[in-house]
Amino acid sequence: MRAPSSLKQEFLRKWILGLQICSSSAKSMSISERKKAIKLSADIAMASARNGRTSWSRALIASASKDDNHGKLFVQQILGSDCERLTKISTSIKRLRCKKILKKSSGTIIRRRMKRIPDKAVASSIAKQMVNKRTQILKSLVPGGVFMDEVSLIEETLDYILSLRAQIDVMRSLADATEMMMNC
Amino acid sequence: MMNRGTLLPEMLHCADITVLERQRARLKWQQDQLQQPQQQQELQQQQHQEQQQQQQQEVRYFSELSQLISQGFDECGLMMGQQVKPDPAFENGWPDLGKIVAPAAGYGFGPGFEASYAISRTSSSPPAVVPEAVDVKGKVSVAALNAKVSAAVGRESFKKRKADKVQNTKVAVEENTKDKRMKGSAEEGDSSKITEQNNNNNRSNSNTNNNNKNNKETSADTSKASEVQKHDYIHVRARRGQATDSHSLAERVRREKISERMKYLQDLVPGCNKITGKAGMLDEIINYVQSLQRQVEFLSMKLAAVNPRLDFNVDNLFAKEAFPVCPSNFPTIGMSSEMTHPAAYLHQFNSLQQQAVSCSGLDLGIINPSEMGLRRTISAPVSAPETFIDSSCYPHLQPSSNWDSDFQNFYNVASFPSQQFTGTLEASNLKMEM
Repeated sequence: MRAPSSLKQEFLRKWILGLQICSSSAKSMSISERKKAIKLSADIAMASARNGRTSWSRALIASASKDDNHGKLFVQQILGSDCERLTKISTSIKRLRCKKILKKSSGTIIRRRMKRIPDKAVASSIAKQMVNKRTQILKSLVPGGVFMDEVSLIEETLDYILSLRAQIDVMRSLADATEMMMNC
Repeated sequence: MMNRGTLLPEMLHCADITVLERQRARLKWQQDQLQQPQQQQELQQQQHQEQQQQQQQEVRYFSELSQLISQGFDECGLMMGQQVKPDPAFENGWPDLGKIVAPAAGYGFGPGFEASYAISRTSSSPPAVVPEAVDVKGKVSVAALNAKVSAAVGRESFKKRKADKVQNTKVAVEENTKDKRMKGSAEEGDSSKITEQNNNNNRSNSNTNNNNKNNKETSADTSKASEVQKHDYIHVRARRGQATDSHSLAERVRREKISERMKYLQDLVPGCNKITGKAGMLDEIINYVQSLQRQVEFLSMKLAAVNPRLDFNVDNLFAKEAFPVCPSNFPTIGMSSEMTHPAAYLHQFNSLQQQAVSCSGLDLGIINPSEMGLRRTISAPVSAPETFIDSSCYPHLQPSSNWDSDFQNFYNVASFPSQQFTGTLEASNLKMEM
């Protein structure tokens, strides 16, 4: 039973955990490094707040744990014991390869047929290509999206959007609070 | 019950029931549902059974979604998610349901409210249908009944999509029969296995559709056996005048799934109501996701700039202080500005972190103003829990002009709880940075 506010609490809790790691080394960081650390810890916290139930969160955590730059630290700290369970992207790579082959072949087929198909079908194939192109873009946006098929992609996108929103809310209020405190 | 009784013959006699009529029937049925809670429970149980046997991941996901929407509908919980396969016909019934959901859901939502409300519009209809639903033990598989009814009702004209979509309509028709068969009767295997125990492998198994169609004919006394769980076929009926080979059926199922999900996205992404094409919708979604990601980047940059040492513990302690608008009554946090939300949960976070008193917002309203006036002057050597309560009370009373003195107190207060905090020293450093 996750209400949005509890999601945000969860996120905030984990995020603070992550930030505590880098606060010790904060003096040596440049602003861009700090920003990266903040963003990374926020992303990992958000993903872990999902408890591995969504594919994008697992993909995000997995990619972060391969990263050199604090990523692993964050993952370990924030996830604790769940670390191992969540950092596996297993069979998705095979699927990706098969899909790539399929896509290549379908492209050529359409081209060959173009001469013989009536306008209606041409329009629909053009529409399909448009959709496909955009689907590809969306896949590149959602973490781990390239491994998913369309149906689950849309589900993951939904969840991802919700999580992003919660993340933004928390970050914004934290930033505003900090700013306000600094300014007065 | 009466209504449903009349629905059944209605549906039975229309060999060629149009979509519109079905929609109307559904709507009527739905409205009946609103007034008849006990039947809703049954319905919901069946529905749940079926849904549960489908993609569990999907179920879980949708339940989360709907939970996000309807905080007021606690009892729906898991069930709501499983109900959600909105049929466009349900649009008619939704606006009023949406209104019901919206105020209840208003509590937790700052800026996300309107979007959540939008979601609630689409998903509230089935949950409204089953408001009491708590039990998730489906005894009956709706699919079985669906098939049975469709067999009885006849045939070609009835478009049977996936069972989860159709159940809302079929349920009305099946009500009569269902009531008799309802309670946990594990009926034995008719090999038809109409029960679409749609698991996660739906898509891969949709080529068994032909098989299923044959079975449907024989399924007059369908077994809703819950033990028929192992079959994960999707039972799809061909529409009138459409190709019936398994590939196109599978394709159709897939397309419908996608369009359903797209509808959710339409509600989630602002400004998508007018766009009808898939490509346009995807465009909007892409733009929205990109903008959200950019916002995250921007905010993290801002946080990095504002806070050179990344010591956010300080912020948390001051957060309550920093919010200019504090509601007098925290329980209604969702109602006022966005800021109150973080106040509440930051507050809770602090108590979490310190493992001190659980200072929920509810405590705040109770504390005596005069007491607080006294406590404000207390400086360092106070126990952490007390100071926590004190500091949390402050936002209610203090206008911004008092902040200086309060800051002193806060710095003293803050020096205790935080482990990373190097006492007042760091606090004063912060002050100097301003």
